[in-house]
Amino acid sequence: MVNVVDALIVLTALLAVTLGVGGFVQWRQGRPQRQIPNEVVDPQRLGAERLGDTATLLQFSTELCARCPGVHRSLASLAEDREGVLHLDVDLTHRPDIAKHFQILQTPTTLILDGDGTIQTRFGGVPNKHVVELELSRLTGETTRA
Amino acid sequence: MPETTDATPRGIDPRGPRFGAAITSVLLLGTVLLSLVGLSTARAPIGWFAYAPLADDVYSAAATCTIAYASLAERALDPGFLALLVVALLFLWGVVSPRTAPWGVVYRRFVQPRLAPPTDLEDPRPPRFAQGVGLFVSAVGLALHLAGVPWALPIAAAAAFMAAFLNAVFGLCLGCMLYLLLQRVGLVGRARPNAV
Repeated sequence: MVNVVDALIVLTALLAVTLGVGGFVQWRQGRPQRQIPNEVVDPQRLGAERLGDTATLLQFSTELCARCPGVHRSLASLAEDREGVLHLDVDLTHRPDIAKHFQILQTPTTLILDGDGTIQTRFGGVPNKHVVELELSRLTGETTRA
Repeated sequence: MPETTDATPRGIDPRGPRFGAAITSVLLLGTVLLSLVGLSTARAPIGWFAYAPLADDVYSAAATCTIAYASLAERALDPGFLALLVVALLFLWGVVSPRTAPWGVVYRRFVQPRLAPPTDLEDPRPPRFAQGVGLFVSAVGLALHLAGVPWALPIAAAAAFMAAFLNAVFGLCLGCMLYLLLQRVGLVGRARPNAV
C-alpha cells in the first residue's frame, strides 16, 4: 500500500514531468530544423499546380488535427502579405504515401521551400510566426541578391 | 449516411474542448491519487502469505500484491476503479454524443457567455477522436485492474492525465499525433469511400 504522503509525491512528480514535457515540446515546435536533405519538391505530386516564385509554405494537415486550421490561417495571411510567397496546405488524411515520403509524424508539419522548390526549413508542430517571417525574409533576401 | 454529415461538420469554439480537458485532467489527477492509495498498489502485510519468500523482495513482488487475492467485487469497488470508471464513462459520452457531453454543456451555458466570441471555429472531429483515445486508455486500465494486474489503474490514469493536461495547458494534441502514426501503419484513414 502506498501511503498518502508517497502518493502525493508521485502526483507532484507526475505534474512536474508533464509540465516539463509540454514545455519542451512547445519549445521544440517553435524552432526550425535546417539539417534536412536538399530535396526538390514536385508540386504536381502534392496536387498543386505550381510553387511560389520566391518561397512556398508547404503545410501538412489531417482532418483530425486540432491545431492545423489555426496554423493554416496564420501561414495563409503571411503568404498573402508577401509577393511571390505561396501557401499550400496538403491534407494527409487520405495520403499516407506523402506522410511516409516526408517522414511526417505529427501535424501540422510545415516545410519552407525556396523558389526552386528545395526544402530549406522544417517545422514540426505549430511554427513560431516570427521565425517563419525571418526564414521568409532570408529567402526573399537571397533571391534579390542573386 | 454518416459520411455526408461528417463532410460538413459545424464548427465549434476551440476553447470548449480545452475547458473540458482541464476538468478531465483534475478528475484524472484525483483518480491517480485514489488508485495509488487503494487496492491497485496494495501489498499484503509481511507474514500474510507464509509461502512467499520474504528474502527475495523483487521475486515475490507479484505474489504479495493484495489485488491478486481480491475478489472481482473487491476489485470493482476500489475507489480508484470507480473514479476511473466515471472518467471513462465521460469519455464515452464525449465520443457518442459530443454535443450533450457535460463539460461542453457547462462551457456553453456558463463560461462562453462571459468570454469574447471565438475568433475562429474548429473542426469538432479532432477533439472527438481524442476523447476516443482517452476512452481506450482508461478502458485498458479498468480491464487490467479487473483482471488483477497491480498498478494498472494509476498507470492508465497517469497516461490519460498527461494527455488531457498537455491539451488543456499547452494545446498539444497527442491523439492527433497518434492518428498519423496509426495511419502510417495502415490501421486508419485508408478505406474511406469519399477519399479526395
